[in-house]
Amino acid sequence: MTTIDSINNWFIQNFGAITTEQVKGWFVYDPDEKLLFNTGLFLGLFLVFYFVYAFLRKTFYLRLTYVILFSLFFYYKSSGIYFLLLLLSSVVDYGLSQIIFKATKDSTKKIYLVISVILNLGLLGYFKYMNFMIVTFNDMFHGNYKLHDIFLPVGISFYTFQSMSYIIEIYREEIKPTKNYIEYLFFVSFFPQLVAGPIVRAKDFLPQIYEKLNLTKQDVNNALFLIIGGLIKKTVISNYISVNFVDRVFDTPLSYTSFENLMASYGYAIQIYCDFSGYSDMAIGIALLLGFKLPANFRTPYKSVSITDFWRRWHISLSTWLKDFLYISMGGNREGSFAGYLFPSIFFFGLLLWGITSYNTSIIPLIVATVSILLFCLSFLLSSKKKQTLVTNLNLFTTMLLGGLWHGAGAQFIVWGALHGLALAVHKIFMELFPSKKDKSPNFFWRFFSIVITFHFVVFCWIFFRARDFETALQVINNIGQLTFEPELWQTIILGYKNVFGLMLFGYVWHFLPETFTNGMKSVFDKTPLLIKAIILGFVYWIVYATAVAGSQPFIYFQF
Amino acid sequence: MNTKPYFFQSFAIVAIAVVAFVGFKQVLPDKIFSESKMNSKNVLIDSLLLEAVAKDSLSVNDSINGTDAEGAEEIVYENIEGIEFPSETFDEYKGYQYLISFYEKLYQLEKNPGQNVRIAYYGDSMTDGDLIVQDVRTNYQERFGGHGVGFVSISSESAASRGSVKSTYSKNWKTQSYLNVKRPASPFGVNGHVFFANDKNNVTWVQYEAGTNKYSTTLDNPTLFYGRSSKKGNVNFIIGKDTLRKNLNPSNLVNSLKVTSGSIKSFKANFVHADSIPIFGFNFDNGSGVHVDNFSQRGNSGLPLSIFNANVMQAFNNNLKYDLIILHYGTNVLNYGTKNYSWYERGMTKAVNKIKESFPGVSILIVSTADKSTKYDLEMKTDSAVVPLMKSQKKYALETESGFVNLYMLMGGDGSMVKWVDESPARANKDYTHFNQRGAKAIGNLLYNQLNKGYEQYKALREKRDLSVKPKVIRNPKADSVSVKNDSVNE
Repeated sequence: MTTIDSINNWFIQNFGAITTEQVKGWFVYDPDEKLLFNTGLFLGLFLVFYFVYAFLRKTFYLRLTYVILFSLFFYYKSSGIYFLLLLLSSVVDYGLSQIIFKATKDSTKKIYLVISVILNLGLLGYFKYMNFMIVTFNDMFHGNYKLHDIFLPVGISFYTFQSMSYIIEIYREEIKPTKNYIEYLFFVSFFPQLVAGPIVRAKDFLPQIYEKLNLTKQDVNNALFLIIGGLIKKTVISNYISVNFVDRVFDTPLSYTSFENLMASYGYAIQIYCDFSGYSDMAIGIALLLGFKLPANFRTPYKSVSITDFWRRWHISLSTWLKDFLYISMGGNREGSFAGYLFPSIFFFGLLLWGITSYNTSIIPLIVATVSILLFCLSFLLSSKKKQTLVTNLNLFTTMLLGGLWHGAGAQFIVWGALHGLALAVHKIFMELFPSKKDKSPNFFWRFFSIVITFHFVVFCWIFFRARDFETALQVINNIGQLTFEPELWQTIILGYKNVFGLMLFGYVWHFLPETFTNGMKSVFDKTPLLIKAIILGFVYWIVYATAVAGSQPFIYFQF
Repeated sequence: MNTKPYFFQSFAIVAIAVVAFVGFKQVLPDKIFSESKMNSKNVLIDSLLLEAVAKDSLSVNDSINGTDAEGAEEIVYENIEGIEFPSETFDEYKGYQYLISFYEKLYQLEKNPGQNVRIAYYGDSMTDGDLIVQDVRTNYQERFGGHGVGFVSISSESAASRGSVKSTYSKNWKTQSYLNVKRPASPFGVNGHVFFANDKNNVTWVQYEAGTNKYSTTLDNPTLFYGRSSKKGNVNFIIGKDTLRKNLNPSNLVNSLKVTSGSIKSFKANFVHADSIPIFGFNFDNGSGVHVDNFSQRGNSGLPLSIFNANVMQAFNNNLKYDLIILHYGTNVLNYGTKNYSWYERGMTKAVNKIKESFPGVSILIVSTADKSTKYDLEMKTDSAVVPLMKSQKKYALETESGFVNLYMLMGGDGSMVKWVDESPARANKDYTHFNQRGAKAIGNLLYNQLNKGYEQYKALREKRDLSVKPKVIRNPKADSVSVKNDSVNE
């Protein structure tokens, strides 16, 4: 008995006494405590889940059902009752996909495809964009419509896109439908990528369901390496610098110096990368532990030598989704479409309107509007194949506009998408006018220069992405514009925020490390014995914990 | 390569890692990031605060001051010329009684709109960029009239974030602030700063442009305030295309020079040969109604008020005639790991007494610290120092016979800052300390509403007062203007 008592005492000492109230808290939805991969609760639940999963590895439907139930619970913990929405939309989508598959006439197929797209986008539109549309309408026409009290279900943008990919791929006859609803639900609700991607394509994922479940030592090594990296990126780098520095500056940019604004912009660039790619890496790693391979979502994007390159390295699952289902559907580089003309026209018209209406206070908006329209026109007028380039650029621009809007309902996201769309068009015409020699790789300095330019353009666009609204973004940019060279002052600021700047530096150095170096680290990790790996992982847990409990950095005021 | 299923090994790694974590947690320190204090000449630190904290650490005594029994203690007011606000408990303390002279001035203004009521709002970073204060000002000007942003310093760390008036200035001003200078070259102005244009090679200038706030769309009767010096100097005021050259005669402790009469949109002031003349700032008001000066200073604990030069302040007061002084501090004394604020209570009592000496007969209002959150374990909660600080602020408010606004309770009490930050749209910033525009507006309204409630109550009491009762002697002998005028005066 003494041993049980002592174990109990040890447990209480280390974890605290556990009350029924707490246990209830583990299983009941709490809007303030989302079940993220980097929480202790997830770790505990996963351990139990994984233990049983290992025993079920040889079963099929039992295993699928088991994972589905865990996934639904996982979703319930994040969004409460809205897990029913996930279920409902999956039933409807599954039904429609069956009809499309079985239909013989092309026209019937098309009708049902359109219905499903409208349903899916309608659902997404209502939950994500309804209030934005009401606000925009009220602003433009002085309307007085009340806002709806809408809860945005977690991950709705991700799983909507995922189910759309399934239906469209069936329509395009790229995949065969699953044998039954259980298999389909497994694909849609698979918890690792459910709430924040990567957006897994049906044709990549479905075949894996039917393969014999296997997990090699190498898989586990890869998975652990991804999870460790992801944890550090998300919980240490991203969370710390956002709470202690970036959020503060973007809250009230004018209260901070130009240098702090500049550093906050750099800080946000590494923060969003670490946050997003870190969470993706954890998702991919966890899926891998379960024996499923999800495609990579980020490939050190800030090493890109051009904006086109950037979009091949940033949030790859989204950019390929948009390319395959939006860009190609609109006509890609072949033909124009109504949407392809509509959205850019509305955007440029709005831009011009903004320029004209604010002409009395400042001429800059009008200049910005004129220059952007001019740039866009030049991007196809200078081309040798004007018609085709125009169509391509319109479709590309629309894709980026809508892609921007997908990230959030707000004008600043549209501006962000537009900037990227414009840059892609400009880069394309640049490549046409000054083609790079294929046989020779560009010299070091040119490469370095390209990376620096691309990186700074991306950072510039992130300012719009991060800022609370358009006005705040302009304040940040304006403030950075007044930067003067004052090394002594910069040093003081850097010393004042040494933890934050240290982590930023760590993040960037890690990001820009040559691939051979990271591969080397990986192979060393692969070779370490199981126990050491576990200890390393445990140490990373501790780092996560210690960062999470770290109090926020006290306020510092600089005087200049 | 080994292709045998690796599930249980994989599970073992995750499970052992958990055990390893528990081990690390016991062996390794609790926190990764050091929270070292920094000291550098470019960092704003309230030097009086540091001294007070250092002195206090010698007598470590972390018992929380104030007991619950104290909270129920009854505070009964003395009748002042027939007006006696109902008694209240320490818990509910608002001290309207001590604002009577201010309320009487408001009352007179309401009856004779040509009169003038002036409020000085001293604060820290909470009121930076005219946050909160501009909303209090707008509320008063909306009801009682008045136009203009009041007194504005030459330069301020937060000038860029101020929307109610835009000011830009050359970088060659020499600035001394009561925050970190104990013995200035020349006494501080009412704003706690003194500026010198002592660059002989380049022009030292300041430029003001009216903002877009209601009732502050023009610069009204812009007037320069400057101090005493043995040498004379010049200043060029540039309004549009005109340049007015004026002499500075620094013969008095505080001198004023009107730029122009009436309202203008913007102007620039170039100081020439003014190198030894202490410059304080400009005042903008239309001469009637309510005017509220914002004297915010980042990092200020409030203690520096005690080094004001009473003679200089009285000279300012003769010019500007203050009726209410608001002291809104506390944020900067929350971070010192102590819950015993007796040192702060002592220091602030001294500071308030200095204000009384500087502005004889003025009403004083103490605004407590707002709620502020700190992370405890993994959760953001109300900082454990907030309530002790608020209580000590209430104590020196009562002690010095000042009115009191319990901002902490007003914004919702325990855990309210977390709510203000997390709600959508947010009303406070992610530092869990400062309000954003929206939140500041709400705070400004809450403040005004409490003050106004007292005013309405005052008016009701004034109506009902029984003048046959002989007025008692007022406790503050200097407070001539405290006396409530008889209505007959107005007839």
